[in-house]
Amino acid sequence: MIHVVTPANALRYAGAMEQAWRLRHEIFVEEKGWTDLARPDGREIDQFDTAHAVHFLAMEGDRVIGYSRLLPTTRPHLLSDVYPELCEGERPAGPHLWEWTRQGVARSHRARGRVVNPVSIALLTGIVEWGMAHGLTGLLLQMPTLYMIHVIQLHFRAQPLGLPVQIGGEEIMAATAAFDDRTLARLRTVHGDSRSVLVSEPAYLAA
Amino acid sequence: MPQARHLDRTFNILRDLDRAATPDEIARLLVAAFGRYGISYVMAGIVPEPNLPARRHAGYVLASTMPEEWGRRYVTRGYAVHDPTVRRLCTSATPFDWSAVQPDTPAAGRVMNEATEFGIRAGLTIPFVTLDGEPGGISFSGEAIEIEAADRIAVNLVATYAVGQLLLMNSRPVPGEPVRLSPRERETLQWAAEGKTDAEIGLVMGITASGVDFHLRSARTKLDTVNKAHTVAQALRAGLIT
Repeated sequence: MIHVVTPANALRYAGAMEQAWRLRHEIFVEEKGWTDLARPDGREIDQFDTAHAVHFLAMEGDRVIGYSRLLPTTRPHLLSDVYPELCEGERPAGPHLWEWTRQGVARSHRARGRVVNPVSIALLTGIVEWGMAHGLTGLLLQMPTLYMIHVIQLHFRAQPLGLPVQIGGEEIMAATAAFDDRTLARLRTVHGDSRSVLVSEPAYLAA
Repeated sequence: MPQARHLDRTFNILRDLDRAATPDEIARLLVAAFGRYGISYVMAGIVPEPNLPARRHAGYVLASTMPEEWGRRYVTRGYAVHDPTVRRLCTSATPFDWSAVQPDTPAAGRVMNEATEFGIRAGLTIPFVTLDGEPGGISFSGEAIEIEAADRIAVNLVATYAVGQLLLMNSRPVPGEPVRLSPRERETLQWAAEGKTDAEIGLVMGITASGVDFHLRSARTKLDTVNKAHTVAQALRAGLIT
Protein backbone atom coordinates (compact mmCIF):
# COMPACT_ATOMS: atom_id res chain seq x y z
CA MET A 1 0.00 0.00 0.00
CA ILE A 2 1.03 3.60 -0.54
CA HIS A 3 1.11 5.98 2.42
CA VAL A 4 0.96 9.73 1.81
CA VAL A 5 2.95 11.76 4.34
CA THR A 6 2.25 15.47 4.84
CA PRO A 7 2.70 17.74 7.89
CA ALA A 8 -0.80 16.63 8.99
CA ASN A 9 0.34 13.09 9.76
CA ALA A 10 4.15 13.43 9.85
CA LEU A 11 4.30 12.69 13.59
CA ARG A 12 2.81 9.23 13.14
CA TYR A 13 5.22 8.55 10.26
CA ALA A 14 8.42 9.72 11.99
CA GLY A 15 9.91 6.21 11.94
CA ALA A 16 8.88 5.53 8.36
CA MET A 17 10.29 8.88 7.17
CA GLU A 18 13.58 8.02 8.88
CA GLN A 19 13.68 4.87 6.70
CA ALA A 20 12.71 6.96 3.65
CA TRP A 21 15.66 9.39 4.07
CA ARG A 22 18.03 6.41 4.31
CA LEU A 23 16.46 4.65 1.33
CA ARG A 24 16.92 7.85 -0.70
CA HIS A 25 20.59 8.01 0.33
CA GLU A 26 21.11 4.36 -0.64
CA ILE A 27 19.48 4.76 -4.04
CA PHE A 28 20.53 8.22 -5.17
CA VAL A 29 23.93 8.70 -3.51
CA GLU A 30 25.36 5.21 -3.09
CA GLU A 31 23.85 3.55 -6.14
CA LYS A 32 23.36 6.31 -8.70
CA GLY A 33 26.38 8.29 -7.54
CA TRP A 34 24.68 11.68 -7.17
CA THR A 35 27.50 12.65 -4.81
CA ASP A 36 26.41 16.25 -4.25
CA LEU A 37 23.46 14.83 -2.31
CA ALA A 38 25.74 12.79 0.00
CA ARG A 39 25.29 13.40 3.72
CA PRO A 40 27.53 12.13 6.53
CA ASP A 41 24.52 10.82 8.50
CA GLY A 42 23.30 8.73 5.51
CA ARG A 43 19.96 10.58 5.33
CA GLU A 44 19.39 12.20 1.94
CA ILE A 45 17.43 15.38 2.67
CA ASP A 46 17.58 18.42 0.40
CA GLN A 47 16.38 22.02 0.43
CA PHE A 48 13.02 21.00 -1.06
CA ASP A 49 12.06 18.70 1.82
CA THR A 50 10.02 21.41 3.46
CA ALA A 51 6.53 21.32 4.92
CA HIS A 52 5.24 21.80 1.36
CA ALA A 53 6.63 18.53 0.03
CA VAL A 54 4.34 15.49 -0.12
CA HIS A 55 6.01 12.12 0.43
CA PHE A 56 4.70 8.86 -1.00
CA LEU A 57 5.90 5.74 0.82
CA ALA A 58 5.44 2.22 -0.52
CA MET A 59 5.31 0.05 2.59
CA GLU A 60 5.37 -3.65 3.25
CA GLY A 61 4.38 -4.02 6.89
CA ASP A 62 6.57 -1.52 8.74
CA ARG A 63 9.21 -1.43 6.05
CA VAL A 64 9.58 1.33 3.44
CA ILE A 65 10.32 -0.39 0.11
CA GLY A 66 9.74 2.51 -2.28
CA TYR A 67 9.58 6.27 -2.30
CA SER A 68 8.43 9.24 -4.41
CA ARG A 69 8.09 12.94 -3.72
CA LEU A 70 5.81 15.63 -5.10
CA LEU A 71 6.73 19.32 -4.91
CA PRO A 72 4.35 22.19 -5.65
CA THR A 73 5.46 24.16 -8.73
CA THR A 74 4.17 27.33 -7.03
CA ARG A 75 7.24 27.20 -4.76
CA PRO A 76 10.94 26.54 -5.50
CA HIS A 77 11.41 23.11 -7.08
CA LEU A 78 14.05 21.33 -9.16
CA LEU A 79 13.06 22.71 -12.56
CA SER A 80 12.93 26.28 -11.22
CA ASP A 81 16.08 26.16 -9.07
CA VAL A 82 18.34 23.28 -10.16
CA TYR A 83 17.75 22.46 -13.85
CA PRO A 84 16.21 25.62 -15.37
CA GLU A 85 18.14 24.88 -18.60
CA LEU A 86 15.76 21.94 -19.28
CA CYS A 87 12.87 24.31 -19.95
CA GLU A 88 13.35 26.57 -22.95
CA GLY A 89 10.04 28.37 -23.06
CA GLU A 90 7.88 29.72 -20.30
CA ARG A 91 8.12 27.44 -17.27
CA PRO A 92 4.74 25.82 -16.57
CA ALA A 93 3.60 26.23 -12.96
CA GLY A 94 0.42 26.34 -10.96
CA PRO A 95 -1.58 24.59 -8.26
CA HIS A 96 -2.68 21.94 -10.79
CA LEU A 97 0.90 20.91 -11.64
CA TRP A 98 3.28 19.22 -9.16
CA GLU A 99 6.83 18.07 -9.75
CA TRP A 100 7.54 14.35 -9.33
CA THR A 101 11.06 13.59 -8.04
CA ARG A 102 13.18 11.01 -6.20
CA GLN A 103 11.31 7.97 -7.50
CA GLY A 104 13.09 4.92 -6.12
CA VAL A 105 12.52 1.31 -5.11
CA ALA A 106 14.59 -0.69 -2.59
CA ARG A 107 17.02 -2.99 -4.34
CA SER A 108 15.42 -6.00 -2.66
CA HIS A 109 12.13 -5.23 -4.40
CA ARG A 110 13.27 -4.70 -7.96
CA ALA A 111 11.91 -7.54 -10.06
CA ARG A 112 14.54 -9.02 -12.31
CA GLY A 113 13.99 -8.65 -16.03
CA ARG A 114 11.01 -6.37 -15.60
CA VAL A 115 11.45 -2.85 -16.91
CA VAL A 116 8.68 -1.34 -14.92
CA ASN A 117 8.69 -2.41 -11.35
CA PRO A 118 5.34 -3.21 -9.65
CA VAL A 119 6.32 -1.00 -6.69
CA SER A 120 7.03 1.91 -9.07
CA ILE A 121 3.65 1.40 -10.72
CA ALA A 122 1.96 1.34 -7.29
CA LEU A 123 3.72 4.58 -6.32
CA LEU A 124 2.71 6.30 -9.56
CA THR A 125 -0.87 5.01 -9.17
CA GLY A 126 -0.91 6.49 -5.65
CA ILE A 127 0.41 9.80 -6.97
CA VAL A 128 -2.29 10.01 -9.66
CA GLU A 129 -5.02 8.98 -7.17
CA TRP A 130 -3.85 11.62 -4.70
CA GLY A 131 -3.45 14.14 -7.52
CA MET A 132 -6.98 13.65 -8.81
CA ALA A 133 -8.37 14.06 -5.30
CA HIS A 134 -6.42 17.30 -4.86
CA GLY A 135 -7.20 19.08 -8.14
CA LEU A 136 -4.01 18.20 -10.00
CA THR A 137 -4.17 17.72 -13.75
CA GLY A 138 -0.55 16.89 -14.43
CA LEU A 139 2.97 16.18 -13.24
CA LEU A 140 6.22 17.89 -14.06
CA LEU A 141 8.92 15.35 -14.90
CA GLN A 142 12.67 15.34 -15.42
CA MET A 143 13.72 12.01 -16.86
CA PRO A 144 15.92 10.17 -19.36
CA THR A 145 14.48 10.73 -22.86
CA LEU A 146 13.54 7.06 -23.37
CA TYR A 147 11.23 7.08 -20.30
CA MET A 148 8.87 9.23 -22.34
CA ILE A 149 7.77 6.08 -24.20
CA HIS A 150 6.45 4.56 -20.95
CA VAL A 151 4.87 7.84 -19.88
CA ILE A 152 2.95 7.93 -23.18
CA GLN A 153 2.10 4.21 -22.96
CA LEU A 154 0.59 4.84 -19.52
CA HIS A 155 -1.85 7.31 -21.12
CA PHE A 156 -0.23 10.47 -19.81
CA ARG A 157 -0.22 13.30 -22.36
CA ALA A 158 3.46 14.12 -22.48
CA GLN A 159 4.60 17.54 -23.57
CA PRO A 160 8.37 18.09 -23.74
CA LEU A 161 9.54 21.48 -22.45
CA GLY A 162 12.87 21.62 -24.26
CA LEU A 163 15.58 19.57 -25.92
CA PRO A 164 17.24 16.93 -23.73
CA VAL A 165 20.51 17.90 -21.99
CA GLN A 166 23.40 15.69 -20.88
CA ILE A 167 23.33 15.56 -17.06
CA GLY A 168 25.48 13.13 -15.10
CA GLY A 169 26.11 10.94 -18.13
CA GLU A 170 22.41 10.65 -19.01
CA GLU A 171 20.31 12.48 -21.57
CA ILE A 172 17.70 14.18 -19.39
CA MET A 173 14.59 16.01 -20.56
CA ALA A 174 11.78 17.90 -18.85
CA ALA A 175 8.15 17.37 -19.74
CA THR A 176 4.70 17.89 -18.38
CA ALA A 177 2.54 14.78 -18.18
CA ALA A 178 -1.19 15.47 -17.99
CA PHE A 179 -3.36 12.71 -16.55
CA ASP A 180 -7.08 11.86 -16.35
CA ASP A 181 -9.37 8.90 -15.62
CA ARG A 182 -7.84 6.94 -18.48
CA THR A 183 -4.36 7.28 -16.99
CA LEU A 184 -5.59 5.87 -13.69
CA ALA A 185 -7.44 3.04 -15.48
CA ARG A 186 -4.28 2.16 -17.45
CA LEU A 187 -2.11 2.25 -14.32
CA ARG A 188 -4.55 -0.04 -12.52
CA THR A 189 -4.54 -2.46 -15.45
CA VAL A 190 -0.73 -2.54 -15.48
CA HIS A 191 -0.72 -2.88 -11.70
CA GLY A 192 -3.23 -5.73 -11.97
CA ASP A 193 -5.47 -4.33 -9.23
CA SER A 194 -8.48 -2.08 -9.73
CA ARG A 195 -8.66 -0.93 -6.09
CA SER A 196 -7.16 2.20 -4.58
CA VAL A 197 -3.52 1.80 -3.54
CA LEU A 198 -3.72 4.59 -0.96
CA VAL A 199 -3.99 3.88 2.75
CA SER A 200 -7.04 5.83 3.86
CA GLU A 201 -6.51 8.32 6.64
CA PRO A 202 -8.76 8.17 9.71
CA ALA A 203 -11.51 10.75 9.18
CA TYR A 204 -10.69 12.81 12.27
CA LEU A 205 -7.29 13.66 10.81
CA ALA A 206 -8.83 15.14 7.71
CA ALA A 207 -10.80 17.71 9.68
CA MET B 1 18.54 32.57 -33.41
CA PRO B 2 19.20 29.11 -34.91
CA GLN B 3 18.74 27.28 -31.59
CA ALA B 4 15.28 28.77 -31.06
CA ARG B 5 14.28 28.06 -34.65
CA HIS B 6 15.50 24.50 -34.23
CA LEU B 7 13.39 24.12 -31.09
CA ASP B 8 10.31 25.53 -32.81
CA ARG B 9 10.77 23.08 -35.64
CA THR B 10 11.07 20.18 -33.19
CA PHE B 11 7.98 21.25 -31.26
CA ASN B 12 6.01 21.61 -34.51
CA ILE B 13 6.89 18.03 -35.45
CA LEU B 14 5.84 16.78 -31.99
CA ARG B 15 2.51 18.60 -32.35
CA ASP B 16 1.92 17.02 -35.77
CA LEU B 17 2.80 13.57 -34.38
CA ASP B 18 0.33 14.15 -31.57
CA ARG B 19 -2.47 14.81 -34.08
CA ALA B 20 -1.67 11.92 -36.41
CA ALA B 21 -4.46 9.42 -36.97
CA THR B 22 -2.59 6.32 -38.09
CA PRO B 23 0.84 4.66 -37.77
CA ASP B 24 1.36 5.33 -41.51
CA GLU B 25 0.80 9.02 -40.97
CA ILE B 26 3.36 9.06 -38.14
CA ALA B 27 5.88 7.28 -40.37
CA ARG B 28 5.29 9.77 -43.20
CA LEU B 29 5.67 12.74 -40.85
CA LEU B 30 9.00 11.38 -39.62
CA VAL B 31 10.38 10.88 -43.13
CA ALA B 32 9.25 14.37 -44.15
CA ALA B 33 10.82 15.91 -41.04
CA PHE B 34 14.14 14.07 -41.43
CA GLY B 35 14.48 14.24 -45.22
CA ARG B 36 17.08 16.99 -44.86
CA TYR B 37 19.46 14.50 -43.21
CA GLY B 38 19.25 12.16 -46.21
CA ILE B 39 16.71 9.91 -44.50
CA SER B 40 14.29 8.26 -46.97
CA TYR B 41 12.81 5.41 -44.93
CA VAL B 42 11.65 4.66 -41.43
CA MET B 43 10.80 1.35 -39.79
CA ALA B 44 9.76 0.82 -36.19
CA GLY B 45 9.10 -2.52 -34.57
CA ILE B 46 9.31 -4.85 -31.63
CA VAL B 47 11.98 -7.57 -31.87
CA PRO B 48 10.19 -10.89 -32.52
CA GLU B 49 11.04 -13.73 -30.14
CA PRO B 50 13.77 -15.89 -31.74
CA ASN B 51 11.55 -18.96 -32.26
CA LEU B 52 8.57 -17.07 -33.70
CA PRO B 53 7.67 -18.26 -37.23
CA ALA B 54 8.40 -15.65 -39.94
CA ARG B 55 4.74 -15.56 -41.00
CA ARG B 56 3.94 -13.86 -37.68
CA HIS B 57 6.69 -11.21 -37.92
CA ALA B 58 4.38 -8.71 -39.64
CA GLY B 59 2.54 -8.13 -36.35
CA TYR B 60 5.78 -6.86 -34.82
CA VAL B 61 6.13 -3.97 -37.27
CA LEU B 62 4.72 -0.79 -35.72
CA ALA B 63 5.19 1.35 -38.82
CA SER B 64 7.23 1.23 -42.03
CA THR B 65 7.81 3.28 -45.15
CA MET B 66 10.34 0.79 -46.53
CA PRO B 67 10.14 0.09 -50.31
CA GLU B 68 7.23 -2.33 -50.62
CA GLU B 69 9.17 -5.21 -52.12
CA TRP B 70 11.95 -4.94 -49.57
CA GLY B 71 9.46 -4.71 -46.69
CA ARG B 72 7.62 -7.81 -47.89
CA ARG B 73 10.81 -9.78 -48.42
CA TYR B 74 12.15 -8.71 -45.02
CA VAL B 75 9.04 -9.84 -43.19
CA THR B 76 8.18 -13.04 -45.11
CA ARG B 77 11.73 -14.33 -44.95
CA GLY B 78 12.07 -13.48 -41.28
CA TYR B 79 15.10 -11.23 -41.86
CA ALA B 80 14.55 -9.58 -38.46
CA VAL B 81 16.17 -12.67 -36.92
CA HIS B 82 19.35 -12.21 -39.00
CA ASP B 83 19.50 -8.43 -39.34
CA PRO B 84 22.59 -7.40 -37.32
CA THR B 85 21.03 -4.02 -36.49
CA VAL B 86 18.05 -5.81 -34.93
CA ARG B 87 20.25 -8.16 -32.94
CA ARG B 88 22.19 -5.19 -31.64
CA LEU B 89 18.93 -3.77 -30.22
CA CYS B 90 18.83 -6.44 -27.57
CA THR B 91 22.28 -5.55 -26.23
CA SER B 92 22.50 -1.81 -26.78
CA ALA B 93 20.47 0.91 -25.11
CA THR B 94 21.98 3.81 -27.03
CA PRO B 95 21.39 4.90 -30.62
CA PHE B 96 23.89 3.56 -33.15
CA ASP B 97 24.86 4.09 -36.79
CA TRP B 98 24.72 1.06 -39.07
CA SER B 99 28.29 1.80 -40.15
CA ALA B 100 29.30 0.68 -36.65
CA VAL B 101 27.54 -2.68 -37.02
CA GLN B 102 29.60 -5.53 -38.47
CA PRO B 103 27.61 -8.38 -40.06
CA ASP B 104 28.97 -11.37 -38.10
CA THR B 105 27.21 -14.22 -39.98
CA PRO B 106 26.71 -14.91 -43.71
CA ALA B 107 22.96 -14.37 -43.27
CA ALA B 108 23.57 -11.01 -41.60
CA GLY B 109 25.81 -9.95 -44.49
CA ARG B 110 23.14 -11.03 -46.98
CA VAL B 111 20.45 -8.92 -45.30
CA MET B 112 22.69 -5.84 -45.34
CA ASN B 113 23.66 -6.51 -48.97
CA GLU B 114 20.13 -7.01 -50.22
CA ALA B 115 19.11 -3.74 -48.56
CA THR B 116 21.55 -1.86 -50.78
CA GLU B 117 19.61 -3.11 -53.85
CA PHE B 118 16.82 -0.84 -52.60
CA GLY B 119 19.08 2.14 -52.01
CA ILE B 120 19.43 1.47 -48.30
CA ARG B 121 23.13 1.96 -47.64
CA ALA B 122 23.17 3.93 -44.44
CA GLY B 123 21.07 3.94 -41.33
CA LEU B 124 20.59 4.92 -37.75
CA THR B 125 18.74 2.87 -35.13
CA ILE B 126 17.36 4.04 -31.81
CA PRO B 127 16.69 1.18 -29.38
CA PHE B 128 13.83 1.24 -26.88
CA VAL B 129 12.08 -1.03 -24.41
CA THR B 130 8.29 -1.11 -24.09
CA LEU B 131 6.35 -0.97 -20.85
CA ASP B 132 6.05 -4.76 -21.05
CA GLY B 133 9.82 -5.08 -21.30
CA GLU B 134 9.96 -6.02 -25.00
CA PRO B 135 13.01 -4.67 -26.88
CA GLY B 136 12.34 -2.72 -30.04
CA GLY B 137 13.88 -0.18 -32.33
CA ILE B 138 13.14 2.61 -34.73
CA SER B 139 15.42 2.84 -37.76
CA PHE B 140 16.00 5.64 -40.22
CA SER B 141 17.74 4.80 -43.47
CA GLY B 142 18.68 6.01 -46.93
CA GLU B 143 21.50 6.28 -49.48
CA ALA B 144 23.67 8.46 -47.25
CA ILE B 145 22.83 10.05 -43.92
CA GLU B 146 24.42 13.05 -42.30
CA ILE B 147 23.17 14.37 -38.97
CA GLU B 148 25.16 16.96 -37.05
CA ALA B 149 25.87 16.05 -33.45
CA ALA B 150 23.71 18.93 -32.22
CA ASP B 151 20.74 17.66 -34.25
CA ARG B 152 20.95 14.11 -32.98
CA ILE B 153 19.39 15.00 -29.65
CA ALA B 154 16.38 16.48 -31.43
CA VAL B 155 16.12 13.41 -33.69
CA ASN B 156 16.17 11.15 -30.59
CA LEU B 157 13.48 13.20 -28.90
CA VAL B 158 11.17 13.19 -31.93
CA ALA B 159 11.75 9.47 -32.60
CA THR B 160 11.09 8.58 -28.96
CA TYR B 161 7.86 10.56 -28.94
CA ALA B 162 6.78 8.88 -32.18
CA VAL B 163 7.48 5.42 -30.72
CA GLY B 164 5.28 6.25 -27.72
CA GLN B 165 2.41 7.23 -30.04
CA LEU B 166 2.92 4.15 -32.22
CA LEU B 167 2.82 1.81 -29.22
CA LEU B 168 -0.31 3.53 -27.97
CA MET B 169 -2.03 3.04 -31.33
CA ASN B 170 -0.80 -0.54 -31.47
CA SER B 171 -2.33 -1.53 -28.13
CA ARG B 172 -5.69 -2.97 -29.03
CA PRO B 173 -8.63 -2.74 -26.68
CA VAL B 174 -9.50 -6.09 -25.15
CA PRO B 175 -11.81 -7.91 -27.57
CA GLY B 176 -15.25 -8.48 -26.15
CA GLU B 177 -18.14 -6.06 -26.13
CA PRO B 178 -18.36 -4.30 -29.49
CA VAL B 179 -18.12 -0.52 -29.13
CA ARG B 180 -21.48 1.26 -29.17
CA LEU B 181 -21.59 4.99 -29.83
CA SER B 182 -24.49 7.15 -28.72
CA PRO B 183 -26.34 8.97 -31.55
CA ARG B 184 -24.73 12.25 -30.47
CA GLU B 185 -21.23 10.72 -30.42
CA ARG B 186 -21.81 9.24 -33.85
CA GLU B 187 -23.09 12.53 -35.25
CA THR B 188 -20.16 14.59 -33.93
CA LEU B 189 -17.69 12.02 -35.26
CA GLN B 190 -19.43 11.94 -38.63
CA TRP B 191 -19.10 15.73 -38.92
CA ALA B 192 -15.49 15.58 -37.70
CA ALA B 193 -14.81 13.02 -40.44
CA GLU B 194 -16.11 15.62 -42.93
CA GLY B 195 -13.39 17.96 -41.73
CA LYS B 196 -15.59 20.30 -39.67
CA THR B 197 -14.17 22.11 -36.65
CA ASP B 198 -15.72 21.73 -33.19
CA ALA B 199 -17.32 25.17 -33.54
CA GLU B 200 -18.82 24.30 -36.94
CA ILE B 201 -20.13 20.96 -35.64
CA GLY B 202 -21.68 22.77 -32.69
CA LEU B 203 -23.43 25.13 -35.07
CA VAL B 204 -24.99 22.40 -37.23
CA MET B 205 -25.96 20.29 -34.21
CA GLY B 206 -27.24 23.24 -32.23
CA ILE B 207 -24.93 22.59 -29.25
CA THR B 208 -21.90 24.43 -27.84
CA ALA B 209 -18.32 23.68 -28.89
CA SER B 210 -17.65 22.29 -25.41
CA GLY B 211 -20.65 20.00 -25.87
CA VAL B 212 -19.02 18.77 -29.08
CA ASP B 213 -15.76 18.28 -27.21
CA PHE B 214 -17.64 16.28 -24.56
CA HIS B 215 -19.08 13.84 -27.14
CA LEU B 216 -15.74 13.50 -28.93
CA ARG B 217 -13.95 12.73 -25.67
CA SER B 218 -16.55 10.19 -24.74
CA ALA B 219 -16.11 8.48 -28.13
CA ARG B 220 -12.33 8.60 -27.60
CA THR B 221 -12.68 6.77 -24.31
CA LYS B 222 -14.97 4.12 -25.83
CA LEU B 223 -12.65 3.53 -28.79
CA ASP B 224 -9.49 3.76 -26.68
CA THR B 225 -7.90 6.20 -29.12
CA VAL B 226 -5.27 8.87 -28.64
CA ASN B 227 -6.69 11.98 -30.35
CA LYS B 228 -9.54 13.26 -32.51
CA ALA B 229 -8.04 12.12 -35.84
CA HIS B 230 -7.31 8.65 -34.44
CA THR B 231 -10.91 8.42 -33.13
CA VAL B 232 -12.31 9.28 -36.57
CA ALA B 233 -9.97 6.76 -38.21
CA GLN B 234 -10.94 3.96 -35.80
CA ALA B 235 -14.66 4.75 -36.06
CA LEU B 236 -14.42 4.57 -39.87
CA ARG B 237 -12.51 1.31 -39.67
CA ALA B 238 -15.04 -0.16 -37.26
CA GLY B 239 -17.90 0.92 -39.56
CA LEU B 240 -19.41 3.11 -36.83
CA ILE B 241 -19.45 6.08 -39.21
CA THR B 242 -19.16 6.24 -42.98
